[in-house]
Amino acid sequence: MSTEKLSRRDFLKLTAATSTGAALAGLGPLSSIAAAQDQVELTFGRHWEAAFRPRQAEYDEGFMERHPDIKVAITYNTWADHNNVVPAWAAAGTLPDIIYVHGSRATPWAHEGIIIDIHDIVTADEEFNVDGMWEESVRLYRVDGRIHALPYDHGPIILGYNKDMFDAAGMDYPSEDWTMEDMAAAAIELTDPDMGVWGWDGRLDLGNGGGGFFTGAWGGVHMNEDESEMTMDTPEVRAALNHWYNLTHVENAGASGTEMEAFPNSQPFRAGVAAMGHIATWSTPSMRALANFEWDVAPTPMGADGSRYTGAFGSGYGITPTSDKPDIAWRYLREYLSLEGMIFMWSLSGRGSPARPEGLEAWLSSDPAPPSGRYFLEAMFDYAVTGPPFQSLAAAQVSNILTREADLLRLGETTVDEAIAAIQEEGQAALDEVADM
Amino acid sequence: MTTRKRKEDVAWYKSTQGRRAIGYMLTFALLVPLGIAFMLPFFVMVSTALKPLKQVFAFPPTLIPETVQWQNFPDGWYGHGYVDFTTCTWNSLKITINNIIGNVVSCTLAAYAFARLKARGKNFFFALVLATMLLPNEALVVPQYVLFNRFGWLDTHLPLMVPPWFGWPFFIFLLRQFFLTIPEELVDAAKIDGAGHARILLQIFIPLSKPALATLAIFAFIGNWNNFFGPLLYLRTPNIQTLPVCLVQYQGAYGNTEWHLMMAVATIAVIPVLLIFIFGQRYFVEGIATTGVKG
Amino acid sequence: MLKRKSRPISASAKREERIFYLFILPWLIGLVVFSAGPVFGMLGLSFTDWRISLDDLQFIGLENYAKLFDDPIFWTSVGNTLYIVVGRVVFGVSFALLLAVLLNQKVPGIAFFRAVYYLPTVTAGVAVALVWIWIFNPRLGILNHTLKQIGIQGPPWIFSKTWVKPSLILMSMFSVGPIMIILLAGLQGVPKELYESAEIDGAGNWAKFRNVTLPMLSPVLFFVIIISVVSSFQNFTEIRVMTEGGPGESSNVLIWYLWENAFIFLQLGIAAAVAWIMFVILMALTGVQFWVGRRWVYYEADTG
Repeated sequence: MSTEKLSRRDFLKLTAATSTGAALAGLGPLSSIAAAQDQVELTFGRHWEAAFRPRQAEYDEGFMERHPDIKVAITYNTWADHNNVVPAWAAAGTLPDIIYVHGSRATPWAHEGIIIDIHDIVTADEEFNVDGMWEESVRLYRVDGRIHALPYDHGPIILGYNKDMFDAAGMDYPSEDWTMEDMAAAAIELTDPDMGVWGWDGRLDLGNGGGGFFTGAWGGVHMNEDESEMTMDTPEVRAALNHWYNLTHVENAGASGTEMEAFPNSQPFRAGVAAMGHIATWSTPSMRALANFEWDVAPTPMGADGSRYTGAFGSGYGITPTSDKPDIAWRYLREYLSLEGMIFMWSLSGRGSPARPEGLEAWLSSDPAPPSGRYFLEAMFDYAVTGPPFQSLAAAQVSNILTREADLLRLGETTVDEAIAAIQEEGQAALDEVADM
Repeated sequence: MTTRKRKEDVAWYKSTQGRRAIGYMLTFALLVPLGIAFMLPFFVMVSTALKPLKQVFAFPPTLIPETVQWQNFPDGWYGHGYVDFTTCTWNSLKITINNIIGNVVSCTLAAYAFARLKARGKNFFFALVLATMLLPNEALVVPQYVLFNRFGWLDTHLPLMVPPWFGWPFFIFLLRQFFLTIPEELVDAAKIDGAGHARILLQIFIPLSKPALATLAIFAFIGNWNNFFGPLLYLRTPNIQTLPVCLVQYQGAYGNTEWHLMMAVATIAVIPVLLIFIFGQRYFVEGIATTGVKG
Repeated sequence: MLKRKSRPISASAKREERIFYLFILPWLIGLVVFSAGPVFGMLGLSFTDWRISLDDLQFIGLENYAKLFDDPIFWTSVGNTLYIVVGRVVFGVSFALLLAVLLNQKVPGIAFFRAVYYLPTVTAGVAVALVWIWIFNPRLGILNHTLKQIGIQGPPWIFSKTWVKPSLILMSMFSVGPIMIILLAGLQGVPKELYESAEIDGAGNWAKFRNVTLPMLSPVLFFVIIISVVSSFQNFTEIRVMTEGGPGESSNVLIWYLWENAFIFLQLGIAAAVAWIMFVILMALTGVQFWVGRRWVYYEADTG
């Protein structure tokens, strides 16, 4: 690990920068300057599983060496509980200076005053290259046009495949010019009920990440651009969902919902019983840790008209209103989320999906990156769109409805028509309720 | 039933030994298969604790690990050098022992009062005990957190260690129900001997309520040992965290959970609970039944 | 419920009253300091538009309650809650009683079995998801695998709208450890003399159980039923870890509905209203149980 340790020189440029002062003048006392002698404690509430903490600790040690006046103190929540702990912190006024913000929480948390508007700080900092981040990723944190948090990771959903299963069947690997029909045909051929293997993982994700994987290929979208209308009840969405339904429940080439849940967080593709499945950069480390087979990735298959589309999503960090030192918090984030910071944290470590193109490029040579990992980069450049809902205040409610109906479809407990009608009606009602908020 | 047969005519299955043997067989016929089913979660935990991570997710899942990886136990305890399970365990132990003592003392007093003392307003206060038991805890998470913040107790063990000294409705109710089954004659006899309520409580109720107190202690132990959301919310500094909070530090997003290490530590964490249970349970047997009604 | 004639307050009665208040004082202080604030706070907040911040709250009267009553999912969750509560209490308590009676037998190795039956309660915390999702898996799970051996095609368990509630009830029967232990402690407390005199009267096993065990156990059984109702109402972990209210809304119970509103939708005012509705339902149920309990619960020393 130490060979990858970030060189001090990489940060010299950033550290020397003082141009943030102007933007911060309006935000409160410049505690960093006022108390240069004393150490200021910067608190940071986030989650990382134990296995990734050495990396974070190494980063923070480096940061504290570069900034002896700052002491970084992290509170680790679990991934599952972070979103439940933060509201309690917010209600009591005990939020740390910086918090982890999942892309789907940015709008509600900004609305509830859990994270502050950092637009001016970010844009006034000439050394911090916000334009060097994927625009699709920054979009998640723009609330009413102003930046309220910044992404650290963002990634597209593309096609993963089990090379061993294709080899055993003597079939060609998925190619760049595959259409959804090609994928379905291959999936049907690779399915062997007696062996308990499926051609397709069966996943149906209508929400943030995988939202566009199927529907996009038919030119359908689940919601309009500004998330005020549900657009489920269209021939395009219907055709896409029918295609998925047919593949999974009629041809039985996709593992049904019940098969997917043999273990929590388990996916038939990762478990080696489905030849193909969704894959995002953030799930490559667990693929590497768990998969007992050779695997690679291919572009998301095209629609019949040759158009390509997929969903992308990610997470970021925000500064809280309780923080009495947003300037110090920004001094941390501007380095943490700089290209150098991202390369150290997410590219070289193999963790994946840094929110900057050069970061993703650097990740390609890391251990968990698959041989054709470049397709992730290509997807981000060419066709991945951040999956709704995330702008509406009713995003959580709509996501809930989307997940619920996708679940029922996977389990064969509802029909495509019923699911579309339910999402359209209930989703629209939820959107209407917040229309004037 | 009135005419007794002579001993040699009694069929084997009606004889004392025969009846006992049939009783044994019936009992075992039920206990053994159900017992196997009840051990399943524990087996899965231990078997996961012994597997390499790749095997945890292997299809189809297996109960017997193909290769046994003992290294999970030291690795799990080491916590990548960033989760200190020795400290977590020590914290949990300290909090748990304090809370058991606090609960036993405060709840015994209140339960005795509710079971055996006459006072105006008693029914009202007992209704309050019940009412506080009925409130869903999940709803009180945020207001309680706000309250402890006002007390300045956050990031200390105080929110976990002080309230148990002030009773716990569930335990008060439990002990009260047991105290109600203690024969009135014993109390009357003691009163005639001039014993006050403190003496009646200490010399009659507590010795006669060993099963109930053992039950309470076991519940308090398990409840506090496994308490998760409270410590997660109240404690921030790593070296004051408790075992369940440290345990979930192995959980990650997108399948990045090291189940094998988590289960290894969970297995170690269950051992004290099991020991307490195995040694504690004999107090159920040595309750009123064997100490007898001595008065 | 007083057996004896009530007398005018004597000096000794006054003394007893003082001791009563002295003994309940710690609990009373705790109630005022730790519970009263949050509880009344929640009542007040249920009439506001509370989302996160406690500043600038708007009083909105019964609007949160009205919203709930208009929401079909709320009514679904009320129905699901009652279904699961009844199932858990009826099957759970009878099963726990059966186990307690079995574990009260004087057979060799009984201490071992007592520990075995307590195992799921102890392990549940961490292993529950891993274990039960595996057990319930329709194709690979141990449950359906076993059923197949005896020629039964098992249902899809928690992965089906029809079966999810029975599955959760079945699952809860593995965590009856605590009430089994309370009942076991209760059984141990039945004086042997009573059985002996019943035997002299020629009572068989069933008659002894019916006429001695059940009446003597009734205060404890009463307690167990009440806490089963309460804990079934408030049981949250399994829903969160296993089903998240699904499939569809078929396992959405009130406590999950509350949690979802509080922490996922950030509508804490509505969550507070749900808490109060749950509280009122539980109060009513507990009141009924006390009322009915007067007819069947036998207290050796009734001073209450």
